[in-house]
Amino acid sequence: MSHTNNSVVSPRRTKKRRLNSVSIPTEIVIYIVLGLFCLACVLPFLFVIIISFTSEDSIRQIGFSFIPAEWSLEAYKYVIDLGDQLWRSYFNSFFVTLLGTFLSVLICILYSYALFRPDFKYRKFFTFFCFFTMMFGGGLAPTYMVCKNMLHLSDNYAAMIVPMLLNPFNIIIMRTFFQSSVPESLIEAAAIDGSGEYNTLFKIIIPIAKPGIATIALLNALAYWNEWFIPMLYVRDANHIPLQYLLMKMQNQVDFLVKNSSMIGAEAANIMSDLPKDSLRMALVVLIVVPIACAYPFFQRFIISGLTVGSVKG
Amino acid sequence: MKKNKVLPLILSVAMLSTLLTGCGSKASTDAAATDSASTEATTETTTEAGADASVDASSLEPVTLKWYLHGSNVTDDAAVLEAANAYLTEKLNVTLEPIWGTWGDFDQNSVLAINGGDDVDIYFTCSWSADEYNAFAKKGAFVRLDNPDNNLVAEYASDLWSTLPEVLTNGAMIEGSDGYGVYAVPGYKDIATQNCWDINVPLLEKYGYTIDDIKNADYYSFGDILKTVKEGEGSDFYPLLVEGMVLERMVTNSVIVTGDSGTNNLLSYYIDPVDVSKEGPYGNKMLSKFETPEYKKFVEQTRQYFLDGYIDPAMGNKNQANDVRVAKQLTGEYLIGTQSYALGYETQASKERKFEVAMVPATPPYVDTTSSQGAMMAISTSSKNPERAMMFLNLLNTDPYLMTLLNYGVEGTHYDIVDGEAVFTAKRDDYMPWTNGMGNVTLLPPQEGQGKDFYDKFKEYYGAAKEVPNLGWAFDPTNVETEMGALSNVAEEYALALDTGTVDPAEKLPEFIQKLKDNGIDKVVEEANLQLDAFMSAKQQ
Amino acid sequence: MSQVIAKSKKPAKGSVNKKKTLALLSMVAPGAIWLILLRYIPMFGITIAFKDYKIYTKAPSLVNNIIHSKWVGLKNFKFIFATTDSWQMIRNTIGYNALWIVLGLVISVVFAIMLNEINNKFVAKSYQTLMFFPYFLSWVVASYFLLAFLDPTRGLLTHIQQNLGMTPTNWYNNPKPWPVILTIANLWKGIGYSTILYLAAITGIDSSQYEAASIDGANKWQQIRYVTLPHLKTIIIILFIMNVGKIFNADFGLFYSVPMNSGPLYPATQVIDTYVYNALIATNNVGMSSAAGLLQNVVGFICIMFANTIVKKVDPDSSLF
Repeated sequence: MSHTNNSVVSPRRTKKRRLNSVSIPTEIVIYIVLGLFCLACVLPFLFVIIISFTSEDSIRQIGFSFIPAEWSLEAYKYVIDLGDQLWRSYFNSFFVTLLGTFLSVLICILYSYALFRPDFKYRKFFTFFCFFTMMFGGGLAPTYMVCKNMLHLSDNYAAMIVPMLLNPFNIIIMRTFFQSSVPESLIEAAAIDGSGEYNTLFKIIIPIAKPGIATIALLNALAYWNEWFIPMLYVRDANHIPLQYLLMKMQNQVDFLVKNSSMIGAEAANIMSDLPKDSLRMALVVLIVVPIACAYPFFQRFIISGLTVGSVKG
Repeated sequence: MKKNKVLPLILSVAMLSTLLTGCGSKASTDAAATDSASTEATTETTTEAGADASVDASSLEPVTLKWYLHGSNVTDDAAVLEAANAYLTEKLNVTLEPIWGTWGDFDQNSVLAINGGDDVDIYFTCSWSADEYNAFAKKGAFVRLDNPDNNLVAEYASDLWSTLPEVLTNGAMIEGSDGYGVYAVPGYKDIATQNCWDINVPLLEKYGYTIDDIKNADYYSFGDILKTVKEGEGSDFYPLLVEGMVLERMVTNSVIVTGDSGTNNLLSYYIDPVDVSKEGPYGNKMLSKFETPEYKKFVEQTRQYFLDGYIDPAMGNKNQANDVRVAKQLTGEYLIGTQSYALGYETQASKERKFEVAMVPATPPYVDTTSSQGAMMAISTSSKNPERAMMFLNLLNTDPYLMTLLNYGVEGTHYDIVDGEAVFTAKRDDYMPWTNGMGNVTLLPPQEGQGKDFYDKFKEYYGAAKEVPNLGWAFDPTNVETEMGALSNVAEEYALALDTGTVDPAEKLPEFIQKLKDNGIDKVVEEANLQLDAFMSAKQQ
Repeated sequence: MSQVIAKSKKPAKGSVNKKKTLALLSMVAPGAIWLILLRYIPMFGITIAFKDYKIYTKAPSLVNNIIHSKWVGLKNFKFIFATTDSWQMIRNTIGYNALWIVLGLVISVVFAIMLNEINNKFVAKSYQTLMFFPYFLSWVVASYFLLAFLDPTRGLLTHIQQNLGMTPTNWYNNPKPWPVILTIANLWKGIGYSTILYLAAITGIDSSQYEAASIDGANKWQQIRYVTLPHLKTIIIILFIMNVGKIFNADFGLFYSVPMNSGPLYPATQVIDTYVYNALIATNNVGMSSAAGLLQNVVGFICIMFANTIVKKVDPDSSLF
């Protein structure tokens, strides 16, 4: 329905948007203000990239600088030397992120859609049921015990996916997205047409709520991709280790050795002097961020495209 | 066979009596000294004793031991485990399941595992890891090994106990959940503390000084040397490269107080810098670290050095200090640094930094509680087979074959013996546990470059280290936890800045002391002294 | 009469309702099961906050340990209040949070509206992507970036000051500029995230409403005032309420890493989370750490309930529940 509408509507809309846009000076101000902010956002990342290609000697001599005294690939070489493990971990990360995002978005949509429905009998109860866990939790040790000993989330992919399947914050946000973008009359109309609840949700509501869903999907994907703490708790098997944890392990090791060198003795100094410490830290950031940054436009398409696609009109 | 059983029995009775009496007397010191001198003899007999155990092994139930280690870098342990398990099955009917904790994740994971009662038999523990020996023994995480009702040490580990230097067994005696006793097997590694001035020799000689000029000076008379070098090297050069807390201990001759606050000590225990086994200027007493005249004198001098441009301002910046210090050591951008020393460190440092480094000791090497508890293995109270775990630890710490196998890997695969030294192969990269974190390192062949007689020197150096009078004592903050929480924050705010001269002590030191008093430092000091007095009287009995 | 009709309709409607409720319940089910397993069951651990946590040596397991540990009442909470720093850290935590909630909200709503007004799709997309970059960087990495400017001997600003003949500021020793630095750091990192939430809400607005408004002769500002903002109202309020729930929690990484944990800065940088962290390194007490967490949550919970009640009175549709 929306597709046929679109093709007819879009030429007109482009024209209309131009008519309806802000004045040229205002737009210039917008360009500048946002442009400056974006510069501030991207500059540190350029800095990270530069440091990751800086030789450790240069860092030791002149500190962190945008213009290093000497360039080097040392840090990347160090990581590439991980060999198969690196690619294996890349795969694990992709797998966990894809499957995890799909499942968590599905659960989130289902749960928050029910909460959005004003005619759901237990709406209040389940809203509070979810919200309460946002405020209170049992803490690390009990959660760890439940996951590991009760649910046997240990050394498998489920161990990385299940603990993050649901985020109460995202459910509340998603519910709010539904509230602000889905007219209630639409659901009533669908019910009168005899559409089942699932059918209404998947065929009618989800296409309308695309920007919101894409946003939640993006946040979940980022959460899965960036997670290293949960794998650290539950995964020891090298075959299952995701990238972020693999790299974090290297990072934590360096930090720990620097801090405790006097207690560990000569060996610590030995390991430390071999490591491209600071450039490695930055190279790890680059290796983590680049793949997910590349996936970003995929989600963004749905968020921004909402601008022109519009929605199904009743 | 009979003979073999008699010797351990005698030893265990002897050990038991020393343990029970608290090991204070001179006589037992001598006895233990002869014991450790006869280490090699004992190790040689173990192979025989081991063969003896293998007869028993068939009558033992097969058991798997889960063993949680720290600081390992192990990605492939299959070959090692195959060999080790074959050997252990024959000896003790035991198979191993090591959990290779890394430097980064051990602290978080081991504490979770202990608190949650995970099924683990043996944990690495020590005075500086998150599963800190004293605190977790007190909490009930570890089995008391010399429990009079079930004395595992006497029964299964007398060989091991007789090989350990007395300072180690003394240091392991603490007040735990099950009374005063031993809760972990101490590892024989670099067990002494010796703080040294780390000297950049080529730079020193460039300005016409010699190492003797450093040896004959002390912190308060470094001024002239520092001035000359600073003037010669320019304003961007900071000759004094200090680690604030280490420097403070070195200059005031105080030792680390185990159990006292995580990052900053609040308490000082002064030792005699000439004979460390004697009581220091204040006797057997805990002092509020920041209120002593010694501390005041130290921070005033440090402030002067800072104002003269001898200390890099980055040293007072907690998260940055370590990074900058390590970097400057490697580039040689310093004249005098601080270093807590381990045998052979100067050789290693010279090699790494590519210039000659000398270590000038501030005190003789001494053994305090922290260093004697530097690496230990404890049997978890959740272990279903504490006896077997003890038997394993006994064998590990007395059997050179097993220790070398688990530590270095399989000979011919992970290392080769060339000229009496172990030379590692590329395979070793996949199997690199923390050498010092496993147990008795003196059983190992020396590593390449250490020299064939390394462990003779090692035993000589560490064997000569004397114990400080309060060895074994650790502060138990349970009664003053509220105060400790507040005080550690206060110390975090002032201590490092004062220790590195980045703030003015004339203004900040009185402010600091007042804030400590407001948050209950007096109560903490009083509690510490009560505990210390009780400990000392128990020890003297 | 109407009663009769209602009666005669009831069975049919009832069964429809029942079916609907069942369908909706089945949608909630996976999430609810997850919540029970991974959130509600572990809640027994909250009792640790009131216990002197010891390991039950006879049969150590988390449950046994908790059961056999002694109750100590509110003792574990004491360390937060029994310090001369209490006022300072609570003031800092609440003060920064309050300021940042307001600033963050205003700026990200403005940014989202601005982004929406950019006609060039490519520019809009690039801006939005770039805004999100700080989200990828950890506070540790961000702190190194800041250090490149503020380093006491090698920093960029230090060099500039030297070249201008000024005495360089020792940034990590002087708490005065830090409220501003921390505020900038926080906004820098968080704006992109909340902007994207608001932007998604804006793009979800039915565009016919703008058409109708513009036909009625509303100019751009009026459209924003009467169409965009009312639509954003719900999500603004929801995000606001949820942020209020975190008023007693501080972003540990920001306050610990960015100022390099430098002691002299504590008057400006000490917050509850950093205080608790330092205290727990010293005492290693599980009970105290869960007490601190519980306290933060209870305060947050009370604040949320309070905020929600007010919202409910004014605008029932926007309330959290």
